[in-house]
Amino acid sequence: MSARIGDYATRSREAIRNHPEVRTAVTGATVAFDEKRRRAYGEVDADLWRRWAEAVKNHLLTHLGDYLVEAEARLEANGAHVHWARGADEAREIVLELASRHSVRSVVKGKSMLTEEVELNPALERAGIEVYETDLGEYILQLLDEPPSHIVGPAIHKTLEQVQRLFADRLETDPGGDPDELARAARGVLRDAFINADMGITGGNFLVAETGTVALIENEGNIRLTTSLPRVHVALVGIEKLLPRMSDLAGFLQLTSRAATGQSIGCFVSLVQGPAAAPGDDGPEEVHVILVDNGRTDVLVHEHAWEALRCVRCGACLNTCPVYRQTGGHAYGWVYSGPIGSVLDPGLLGLHEAMPLPFASSLCGACFDACPVRIPIPELLLAWREEAQQQGLTPWKERAALAGLANVATRPPLYRLAGRVGTRLGAARAARKLPMLGDWSNDRSLPSPSPRTFRQLWREGIK
Amino acid sequence: MSGSATRDRRESFGDDGGARARILARVTRATTLRDRLRHPGRLESPAPPDPAATFVKRFTSQGGEVATPDPDRSPRDWLTSFLEGLGDDVTTIAIGADVPTRLQPRSPDVPPADAGTAREESPGQLHYLIAPAVSRNSVEPMRHVAPAAQAAVGVSLAWGAVAETGSLILPSTGTRAVQLLPPVHIVWVPADRVFARLEDALIELQPRLPAGVGLHSGPSKSADIGQTVVTGVHGPGRSIAVLEG
Repeated sequence: MSARIGDYATRSREAIRNHPEVRTAVTGATVAFDEKRRRAYGEVDADLWRRWAEAVKNHLLTHLGDYLVEAEARLEANGAHVHWARGADEAREIVLELASRHSVRSVVKGKSMLTEEVELNPALERAGIEVYETDLGEYILQLLDEPPSHIVGPAIHKTLEQVQRLFADRLETDPGGDPDELARAARGVLRDAFINADMGITGGNFLVAETGTVALIENEGNIRLTTSLPRVHVALVGIEKLLPRMSDLAGFLQLTSRAATGQSIGCFVSLVQGPAAAPGDDGPEEVHVILVDNGRTDVLVHEHAWEALRCVRCGACLNTCPVYRQTGGHAYGWVYSGPIGSVLDPGLLGLHEAMPLPFASSLCGACFDACPVRIPIPELLLAWREEAQQQGLTPWKERAALAGLANVATRPPLYRLAGRVGTRLGAARAARKLPMLGDWSNDRSLPSPSPRTFRQLWREGIK
Repeated sequence: MSGSATRDRRESFGDDGGARARILARVTRATTLRDRLRHPGRLESPAPPDPAATFVKRFTSQGGEVATPDPDRSPRDWLTSFLEGLGDDVTTIAIGADVPTRLQPRSPDVPPADAGTAREESPGQLHYLIAPAVSRNSVEPMRHVAPAAQAAVGVSLAWGAVAETGSLILPSTGTRAVQLLPPVHIVWVPADRVFARLEDALIELQPRLPAGVGLHSGPSKSADIGQTVVTGVHGPGRSIAVLEG
């Protein structure tokens, strides 16, 4: 999906005013996810696990070159092919080239945010290849031609009634069909797709350098099938997804599952080392791993934002975020939404492209408490805001207001005057007249001001 | 803070020859910008006390089932009656290529050694489809996928199990289609290979990793439609572990 972040505010307003069902569905789903995550954290020493995971990823990111080379060597020793892609276009070209070499007519896909990021599906379709998203949520969205709205639950913004209408129309199910019947109908279509597909395409939750293992977590079994039945498996993996050792993977599989869905581990985990080469081994004839940069090295050199590359895409920060819960992910305008999107997108796309996402937060800090790798999201939001201010990317009203404030605050006589005017007029009324504060106070009640200024109180002695 | 605002991603278009070197050069430059941080070592998490009992508890709490073979009967006799007990409509069983004869169900008509064959029989009577014990590379591509897709039950052999996460470890030396396509999956688990922690199992497995490994920790499920949990979406809707030996 191409980025169109600019009108975040307009899309948020539209979502809240015109699609109240989205807010209801998203809030319901995220509150449930968040409660499960809290319970699952409570069952282990979550603080210890999170600090450990943070340290492993920090080690990885400060030795990334070494581990990329090690992963490549291991994968090749396992019989897999390794490709490198700097940008989205290179990633697409590599996949298209492989598809053409294998005369691929039909592809089954596991859910992958990276393939959304590089806009792979439209490129495959333009090449005349049939693409089946096989995660049930992704399949629903593919039928609707919508992008995912959540990293883990791509269709959480859809209600049962909407899926009933869609499937009745497209799969001829009963219009009142329950989720079981609807899932069975989708299973029927996708089962044929699995058996007939020439190529399976997935992302990768982790890539273990030590063993050349691409690890994938899921609940439906569709990724197991995607990596098992077709002749060719292609995995697109962001370069930050590496882990040094197999023993690290054990901790990350569990921590990610607990953070994402509150499970001790996803129902299915696929560990892909390479093609079935040895006699008696079963699986694809060819395995290709595409290591994708697409902006990640820009984030890695950034003084603060590099910490966002620890992200394991669990969605815990989305689930706990009071801002995300109001609109769901589509308002954000790109693949990565919610708190992590607001700090990652400016790094991946450039700050100018990602404005105003660093401002789409109340800085309540819940995202940091939920994050399994302790990304300091509130601090990173502030760092991006500061950078936006320095680059002149903030709205003129805000810049004018801050310049005005600086003017008043550095001139004591003016400050005294402003204080007195504020108390006489009533701050609530005064605020409405001021740039920026006016917008802010439209939807909020301001407290009544004290009848005397702080300076007066100070002189009289505060009792 | 360094700005990355104006970089045009499209400049990266070009032959793939340069991509690896360019990415590694950028990564290396980034890693010179800050201190190299140390690996924290292993995650210290307590091992559950009784691995087998913990596995049963975890696996069943995740929607899996555990069946206990009758100690007075041979495993294959027990499995044969267990399969018969699943219902009259369960007539077709797919068996993984690595399941030894002593863990295969008994059939009076089809000798289990008769690999890859299916035989039409009278309704209600079991018949067996045994996946060929060779890699797909050397046989007809759909040969073992198609029979497993028709089967009501798949029978597999796990390499081991994990107590901490309630997981079965299924290697690709078995038959992947048998592990995934039939709606009911019965998995033999060597009782002496139930590991307390996932890390213990993965480290033990590491020197002999096959092309692929699946960790199955309960039946296939999804809550993507109206946030209601449904089972058997793509993979097996029933996952039955049998501790053996």
